[in-house]
Amino acid sequence: MKEKILTLPTPYGENLELYKNVWGKAGESLSIVSGLQGDHLNGLFLNSQLTQFLDRVIEGLDPHYTLTGQVQTFPVVNINAVQSGTRLWPLDGMDMDLAFPGNSQGETTEAIAYMILEHTQDSFWGLILTSAPPHYEDAPHIQVYKSNNSVKKMCRDLKIETVRKQKEYSTQKVNLFHHWQEQEISSVMISAGSPRTINLQQCENLFQGILNFMKAEGILKDHRKKDSENKGKTRIYQPDEEVLVKTSTAGIFVTEVKVGSYLKQGQKIGEVRDIYSGKKLEELISSEDGLLITLRQYPIVYEKEPVAIVLKAKNSWREYFPWNR
Amino acid sequence: MQTQRILSIKSPLGPPVEILKHTFSAQSNKPRVSFVAGLHGDELEGLYICHKLIRYLKELEISNPEAIKGQINIYPAVNPQALENATRLWPFFSLDVNRTFGSGQIDSLAVETSQILLQDLKSSSEIVIDFHSSNLQLMELPQIRIIKDFEKKLLPLAKNCNVDLIWIHPNAEIFASTLAFNLNKAKTPALVIETGICHRIYPNAGDQIFNGMLNLLHETGTLNIKLDSVKEPKLVQSDQVKMVQAYHSGLFIKQVAVGKFLEEGERLGKLIDPIEGSVLKEIVSPCSGLLFTLREHPLVHKGSPLARIVETLRKK
Repeated sequence: MKEKILTLPTPYGENLELYKNVWGKAGESLSIVSGLQGDHLNGLFLNSQLTQFLDRVIEGLDPHYTLTGQVQTFPVVNINAVQSGTRLWPLDGMDMDLAFPGNSQGETTEAIAYMILEHTQDSFWGLILTSAPPHYEDAPHIQVYKSNNSVKKMCRDLKIETVRKQKEYSTQKVNLFHHWQEQEISSVMISAGSPRTINLQQCENLFQGILNFMKAEGILKDHRKKDSENKGKTRIYQPDEEVLVKTSTAGIFVTEVKVGSYLKQGQKIGEVRDIYSGKKLEELISSEDGLLITLRQYPIVYEKEPVAIVLKAKNSWREYFPWNR
Repeated sequence: MQTQRILSIKSPLGPPVEILKHTFSAQSNKPRVSFVAGLHGDELEGLYICHKLIRYLKELEISNPEAIKGQINIYPAVNPQALENATRLWPFFSLDVNRTFGSGQIDSLAVETSQILLQDLKSSSEIVIDFHSSNLQLMELPQIRIIKDFEKKLLPLAKNCNVDLIWIHPNAEIFASTLAFNLNKAKTPALVIETGICHRIYPNAGDQIFNGMLNLLHETGTLNIKLDSVKEPKLVQSDQVKMVQAYHSGLFIKQVAVGKFLEEGERLGKLIDPIEGSVLKEIVSPCSGLLFTLREHPLVHKGSPLARIVETLRKK
């Protein structure tokens, strides 16, 4: 059910329009936001899959499901960036995720940010769908600032094994996620894939995870008496369990591994070659056993650039406490 | 003058990316003053001012070296990749380097660069001046902006800088990741000077600030030179600043220039519809006062800032 939530005139023609999709009228609501960055396309595609699915449920075309809660999706926030194929708002290079809480009377980006927050602040749950930063690829994982029981349950219900607890950083107070946390919305960010691409398999896995989440939280009823699956093991990684692998030379980075794979200590991740001579300048290896969560995708690298992030495999002492299992 | 590379990074095609620091030095207990330009690669006014400072100080080293009483550091181009491409942002990642100075940033080359710059400035300065121009949209009169929390320490310094106005404004979350905020938080006073517009150099404004910088160095005892007096800046609190915003999208055709003292109702420009050929609105000043910001880029959307005016209340 597509609803227009903001109309702004443009200098040269058609109005700029911001939309959301809404399903259900009763119960606690789930908000799913994608397209904060104009080049994060996995989230856009995933939201379009959810729209297709929920439309069929509401129209009675899917006999297995009934919607028992409310869902609203915001597929495209950074409208002009998506239209222009850029990450940032094209006119002034504004990062939409630095525009919150926004301003209803302000510039276009501020007005959009204000409206997104206005429409989501009463949600019970929130999901923000993102991809890796430019030139990197992420294995699907969840990012959180806090890891309380409610968040842990969300992660399990979403069937995503890997959770990275993020360091608090100086610009987070102008992010959408921060404002959701302030409103005590149970929320997480899901990152998967790389900018400017759609990974169909990742989207399908995340789609099934979100369906499972909706079933587990009572937003969606499955008439086949299938319970949601919540026995998945979720591992929360602290910031100090992340290992950065950095270049000490510059050139072409050629990788030998895939993001999402488990690396052994000493395993080669890739090498840097000199652009002119083709000679190998250095080998980059993993200093730890662990999960390769982020990998450099764009091959041209400078010295001192991170090319990989490995999440250490060894058990944290925190995991031995019963309340963290 | 001594030149030091505070950062050198190998690039894929050969020549390294480097940040240079020039130092003019005399052993003393006078405050060490540092000047920074080019954090945004399309803001060139600061580079012009640094050029003038380097040239002046080099000549002074020869003609009157005793006049240099303290240490002066000049970092003329701290975002070399962006300057090379004339872009505001660090080109490889479209990252605003002046949003990478706070804690907990995601690791990247830009963040590593900003941390090295911050540490170098903290270890070699008692006062820092960070030069900026405006973005693509707005033209600014030479000014210093001070966050209210830092007013006590910064205002006496700012008054020496020969700017037209000093704007004291409340803190906002977005400042937490800027260079100046983090220096001030670390108790190294840092002034942000804003003038002109990006991609351009206005020598008159640059010369005005250059004279202000010499005056600042003189007043802090770092330089012992004879100078003409500098102008008294207008002190502005946020409630005195009236912003004019576009009520509709269109093209803004300006009809005044920054620095003008406006009467209430005086015309600033007009908003036109380029497709229909109509004038949407004549834009007038909501108050009398000094026009210190004016829209330069004609393309506006609803809510875009068109002008900022320091309201002057008339005595009845």
